[in-house]
Amino acid sequence: MKHFGASKLVDSVIQAGLCCGCGACINLCPYFQSYRGKTAALFPCSLETGRCFAYCPKVELDPDGLSRFLFNKPYDGSPLGAFRSIHISRAGAKVKKRAFQSGGTVSALIYFALRSKRMRGAVLTGRHGLLPVPSLVTRPADVFLRSLSKYAAAPTLAALNEAIAEGYGDLGVVATPCQAAAVAQMRSNPMNDPSFKDPTALVVGLFCTWALDFRRFEAFLAEKMSLPEIVKIDIPPPPASVLEVYLKEGKREFPLDEIRSFVPEACAYCPDMTAEFADVSVGVLEGRPDMNTLIIRTERGEEIVREARRLGYLELDDLPDENRDHLMGAAANKKKRGIIRCREAGRLNGEEGKACLRLSAETTERILKNGKETSSCHS
Amino acid sequence: MSFLIDEGKHIQHLLMGNEAIVRGALEAGVNVATGYPGTPSSEVIEAFSKVARERNLYVEWSTNEKVASEVAAAASFAGLRSMCVMKQNGVNVASDFLLHLASSGTRGGMLLVTCDDPGALSSVNEGESRLFARLLEIPLLEPGDFQDAKDIVRWAYDLSEKIGNIVMIRSVTRLSHASGNVRFGPLPDTAARAKFAYHGPLLDPVTGPVISMIPALPAPTHGRQQEKLKLAEEMFETCSFNNYTGPLEPELLIITSSICSLYSREAVDVLGLAQRVGVLKLATTWPLPRKLLKKHLASTKSVLFVEEVAPTLEDHVKVIAAESMSEIGVTTFYGKKSGHLPSVGELNPDLVISALARLCDVPYQSVPPAFARKVQGLADRYAPVRGIMFCPGCPHRASFWSITSALQLDARQGFVCGDIGCYALAAFPAGFSTNKTLHSMGSGSGIASGFGKLRQFGMDQPVVAVCGDSTFFHAAMPALANAIHHRSPFTLVLLDNRGTAMTGFQPHPGSPTDVLGDTAPALDIEKICVSMGAKVEVSDPFDLEKTRRTLNRLLENAEGAKVLILRQACALSPERRAKKKYEIAVDEDRCRGESCGCNRICTRIFGCPGLIWDREKKVSRIDDIICTGCGVCPDICPAGAIIKKEVC
Repeated sequence: MKHFGASKLVDSVIQAGLCCGCGACINLCPYFQSYRGKTAALFPCSLETGRCFAYCPKVELDPDGLSRFLFNKPYDGSPLGAFRSIHISRAGAKVKKRAFQSGGTVSALIYFALRSKRMRGAVLTGRHGLLPVPSLVTRPADVFLRSLSKYAAAPTLAALNEAIAEGYGDLGVVATPCQAAAVAQMRSNPMNDPSFKDPTALVVGLFCTWALDFRRFEAFLAEKMSLPEIVKIDIPPPPASVLEVYLKEGKREFPLDEIRSFVPEACAYCPDMTAEFADVSVGVLEGRPDMNTLIIRTERGEEIVREARRLGYLELDDLPDENRDHLMGAAANKKKRGIIRCREAGRLNGEEGKACLRLSAETTERILKNGKETSSCHS
Repeated sequence: MSFLIDEGKHIQHLLMGNEAIVRGALEAGVNVATGYPGTPSSEVIEAFSKVARERNLYVEWSTNEKVASEVAAAASFAGLRSMCVMKQNGVNVASDFLLHLASSGTRGGMLLVTCDDPGALSSVNEGESRLFARLLEIPLLEPGDFQDAKDIVRWAYDLSEKIGNIVMIRSVTRLSHASGNVRFGPLPDTAARAKFAYHGPLLDPVTGPVISMIPALPAPTHGRQQEKLKLAEEMFETCSFNNYTGPLEPELLIITSSICSLYSREAVDVLGLAQRVGVLKLATTWPLPRKLLKKHLASTKSVLFVEEVAPTLEDHVKVIAAESMSEIGVTTFYGKKSGHLPSVGELNPDLVISALARLCDVPYQSVPPAFARKVQGLADRYAPVRGIMFCPGCPHRASFWSITSALQLDARQGFVCGDIGCYALAAFPAGFSTNKTLHSMGSGSGIASGFGKLRQFGMDQPVVAVCGDSTFFHAAMPALANAIHHRSPFTLVLLDNRGTAMTGFQPHPGSPTDVLGDTAPALDIEKICVSMGAKVEVSDPFDLEKTRRTLNRLLENAEGAKVLILRQACALSPERRAKKKYEIAVDEDRCRGESCGCNRICTRIFGCPGLIWDREKKVSRIDDIICTGCGVCPDICPAGAIIKKEVC
């Protein structure tokens, strides 16, 4: 695959309106920065190839290459991606009850990994007011200061890059699907740096159908309420179709249809609902607002989950077939939508340095046929 | 004591053209000199200031050229001799007042000295000031060399008082800034008494009020003004500053003025054409002495005009030729309009020699090709072409770093309207190509005020303007008042480097001293902006992070005019010069050089001359001698490889 540099990244992604603000290009160098949810190039870099372009999940993404790198398997376009097992879960007894998103699985896993020193640090997302802020956490208790979903896209990987530059290894990352794809590209050492060592201990992916543009979302809420009063934001699982805003006193609801107008263009091009390139992926469980759906994909992910459960940090159970079917249906639909959008925009395969995704014709066909019947479980 | 006021018999000195002008005024007993800094005119006021106390002069750097001409006019109305000085586009600024002054007339001799900048070596325009003489209907004199500059200025005061009106003296860069031998004349005594007489009849030129015109009754004043011009023309017919050298009936007549007269003489000499070509050097170029010109036009069939900047002499002589064609016959004219001399850019002897050689069919090769190649090779090696840059330690580099960063992070295609000063260079890589408009003094703020009101037409780009501290007083204040009153939501970034820096660090109304170095009340820019009603913040441009953060916050405020004052003295100012605050060094082990992660942002983008790229070691390093120790570059290095240590 041909590599490109910053000017191509600006052209093909930022100027094209396809940046999802994941932060993969930030803190590698002085040129890319994020401000209030938007990534910008401050000055032009003239290098012809660079890590920024190689890490970016929105341009020249090669799912097959990544799948072989992480799972030793080709990418077949199945709805949930490669996985070993799938469960329902929630934080266990060893994790004190506090304000969680759904079952608190992510916080519990990271808390356990830090406490048991399986991780030296975790790259999480905190917030200043409504603005999501990348955050490296090294003290286990601090994990809970970063809990709760932030529906606006956050440049979380900026904190990962910063931690790596400071010499951290054995890092955990909680990542949206685009961020997980970027981390997977990073781990594959695309620039062939001879001194490269994988700095990650665990990548926890988050289910994501879309994120929100922070600036537009903030402006919308600011018109309707006083922002410092906001305590928590939630989009409960289907069948609900609202966005809930919990204030210090009271709660407001907005129909999802209205909220969807703040989804960045970039999200329409994404085929990944369950963070397929993570070690484990966590999301809501339809019908059970106090539980999570947990997908285990790799050996190291399986090890941490097993130990967390054994030591009381996590509770696990079987995923009912109905839930599994609904999940696969939703994931397959997002995949199909994303592929179609890429193709319509001429960004599925095509011009070098401009394509969002590279897929074989076979895989593309399978996805378009809504191939939720393909089983991808390989344990 | 300055050589400029040297007295005695048979003295001569090597004087710059601008100094010669000053000596001429001193010999005429000038009392008041005003101006606004502008290259190539600034040395005139500076030279006056050096002798002000000994010669009992009042010298002032005025707020702008219009006020400068008004202050000089007051002196004239009170019976004193005065001079106001400016560069070519300064006349545009003063022109409204000058239009009315030329109509009201003057009393004590008053000269308007303008120094044009052919080739725009220090300007963003190639303006021609001579046309103002025609527009304003006042006499125009152009000294041809350094002795001329002194003698003509001396004489011009008598002319001004004889006709009772302002006289324009026009110089160009190569006269103002070059030097030549000047023989001195005597200096008068310096006693002068100022009194403004106004009790006489309305239109009495000596005792009445000084009004430019009675509305709907132009004849008494405008008619009188035109009579003055006729009187001047009569005097010009026999003026000894116009002279001719050459044959009685030249094959080709060169008509020339200003320093171009020297180029013309050199051309005739180099080509050995003294028997064939005549040179008519005119010092009185408006109104043109018609009889003199007809006489010379009648002596030849071909005329070459050699003048800077625009073909104005050419056009005016052609009118006379057309009017007198039945007497003088048909003439062929050569010059800028025929393409023999370029219409754009500065003239030089070589261009004139080439044109003359072509017209007279004399072979001439300005530079042998082999020599030209040799020169180019040496130049490439020892003097590579460099872009124009800010000085090491310049606060503007830091300011525009923050401004560009803030606009990029704001990510709404905001832009900066530029203005005049060193920071005008921010339209180019020196300032990261930040400025997107560039015109005249104060126009950045005016244009920004306009852009800010286009929201009703769908414009949603944030608007920023920059101006300097001197420019603020000169012209930007009315634009800011406009923006505040009309609620135009633009952000003015006021770059306060504590002086009028571009032209040599002269004082302005915000400075604590005046042109003589005496203390003076310093107007407080921050307080002025606050009392005008702007939202005002202040930051040190060397604090990159705070400046960027503050500007981003202001850009998000969609209402009203905001002013961000970035206050840090110019690197060449007296308070900072020769004083390093920090010793700076590069840790070569940490330097990332050209690799991904930096791509030498310090030498490639930031561009301070104190930072050098070592092509062999592939790291950056500091040039100790050029570095002024401002301490900013450590903050732009992503690897923390630039270290600063405070100098005790």
